[in-house]
Amino acid sequence: MMMSEFFSIFEYQFFQNAIAAAVLTSVIASMVGTYMVSRKIVFIGGGITHASFGGIGLAYYMGLNPFAGAAVFAVMTALGIEWISDKGKVREDSAIAVLWSLGMALGIIFVFITPGYTPNLMTFLFGSILSVGIPDLLLLLFFAIFLVILFLVFFRPILYTAFDPEFAKTKGIAVSLYRYMMSVVMALAIVLSIRTVGIILVLSIFTIPQITAMIFTRDFRKVIPWAAALGAFGSVAGLVAAYALDIPASAAVIFFLTIQFLIIKAFFMLTGRLLNLRLKNMFYRYKKD
Amino acid sequence: MSNPLLVLENVSTGYFSQTVLEEINLKVYPDDFIGIIGPNGGGKTTLVKLILGLQPLFSGRIYFPVGKLRTGYLPQATQVDRSFPITVKEVVSSGLKIRNPLFPHLTSTQKTRVDQMLEDAGLAGLASRPIGELSGGQLQKTLLCRALVEKPHLLILDEPNSHVDKKFERELYGWLGELSREMAILLVSHDIGTITPMVKTIACVNHSLHYHPSNQISEEMLKVYNCPVDIIAHGPVPHRVLRVHDDE
Ligand SMILES: Nc1ncnc2c1ncn2[C@@H]1O[C@H](COP(=O)(O)OP(=O)(O)OP(=O)(O)O)[C@@H](O)[C@H]1O
Ligand SMILES: [Mg+2]
Repeated sequence: MMMSEFFSIFEYQFFQNAIAAAVLTSVIASMVGTYMVSRKIVFIGGGITHASFGGIGLAYYMGLNPFAGAAVFAVMTALGIEWISDKGKVREDSAIAVLWSLGMALGIIFVFITPGYTPNLMTFLFGSILSVGIPDLLLLLFFAIFLVILFLVFFRPILYTAFDPEFAKTKGIAVSLYRYMMSVVMALAIVLSIRTVGIILVLSIFTIPQITAMIFTRDFRKVIPWAAALGAFGSVAGLVAAYALDIPASAAVIFFLTIQFLIIKAFFMLTGRLLNLRLKNMFYRYKKD
Repeated sequence: MSNPLLVLENVSTGYFSQTVLEEINLKVYPDDFIGIIGPNGGGKTTLVKLILGLQPLFSGRIYFPVGKLRTGYLPQATQVDRSFPITVKEVVSSGLKIRNPLFPHLTSTQKTRVDQMLEDAGLAGLASRPIGELSGGQLQKTLLCRALVEKPHLLILDEPNSHVDKKFERELYGWLGELSREMAILLVSHDIGTITPMVKTIACVNHSLHYHPSNQISEEMLKVYNCPVDIIAHGPVPHRVLRVHDDE
């Protein structure tokens, strides 16, 4: 393949859309994913993701928009899990596992009994980033803007309820309200990302850039922009690789995010603690000025 | 005598159907320094959470005769997740109340207050450190700053001496001595031997609460209070604690 021929891919509308979708998804996942990773609730994200498949199936069966169905199931699951953990009556992890598998089962049953045309399940399982249209992009854009504003304005209560909810309550923060709000935000972010990377891979875009960012900084405030940048870079690189090597796009994106993590991790391990510490000291000194 | 800051009247609380504390009566005055002792699972933490409004009230009544109570809370060490990506400065800032829920940012006076607090505690150099990179003592100090940053009327400490070395413990008790001149303090501890010389009064918590209006307490009394704290096993100088009031 010629160089110019290779770069001509960037002139195609579908590829530009795919890049925009990857970047916007990374921005959305940077905020929500940092919240999830910090609170160690990635497993809840898994539950929400898979339960939403039930909504996709039901919507198909009823002839509705599958992503609307997914959104309803995802939000209900997220609120349900938050409610269970709030009340503490059932073991939270078991409840998540039940919703996780029940959602998948419902999805498959509904798709199976839907008469006539059977939807392409692969689209939901692996996303369809190369067929993202302008309406999808607008939806991603609006949600990303909404999240940025939400995190800019309510950063302190969001962080404090995530870090130490009991203490936050003693300072008069409406902890339950923030918890439920973040559950809904998590559910919507996950459903929107399913469109691009699919059910099977969605969790990785909410975790890999974040844990990569945490190699550089362990300050919630800074993890978010780092995760956004690393996520965007890794996923665009993945898209290009997918085209060059002719492999499925979303899988290539996740693969690249992982490679990126491993390279950075290895770099920090090889250059040793010494350099790591020196960089950090430089950083602190710079911060203090 | 001045009005109490806080009154608990025949209070019961617990979890779901299990009642952990029953018929609790306690008054906390502005110049109090109360040591709360009791066996593991006796309900000390539950009592603290009840006072902080984190526990449902099964029955009885809690009120604040002198108006809204500003509390500073140092939770038991296990409540804080050390791997959470948050800096020392951010943790201390979280001790400041949000004045306007729709604009929850720090005001410039609040920012100065946080810096001052860090400076006073000798934590200024660690301000941008993530809490995962602190020693046990430094973390406790950070959490103590979070409790103090808003200048509370009532400081509540839940076993501040666990997971720290003796040197830090002495330092901590030095501060508490000074702080007790400015605010009421509730200090939860197993380690009755170390706390009794500092506190003014003692409350034994084991399902119920027995208030002992002095810091001299004997094993006999603990038996009467049904408060099986192992005095001998704890504290470096047990006889100091065991001494029965000889002036009686
Ligand atoms: N979240 C909870 N859910 C259900 N029961 C609880 C919960 N927390 C505490 N308990 C129960 O309440 C009782 C009192 O617990 P609490 O933590 O108040 O004891 P404690 O005196 O602080 O003990 P320790 O000295 O170990 O800190 C215990 O029997 C415990 O099992
Ligand atoms: Mg306790």
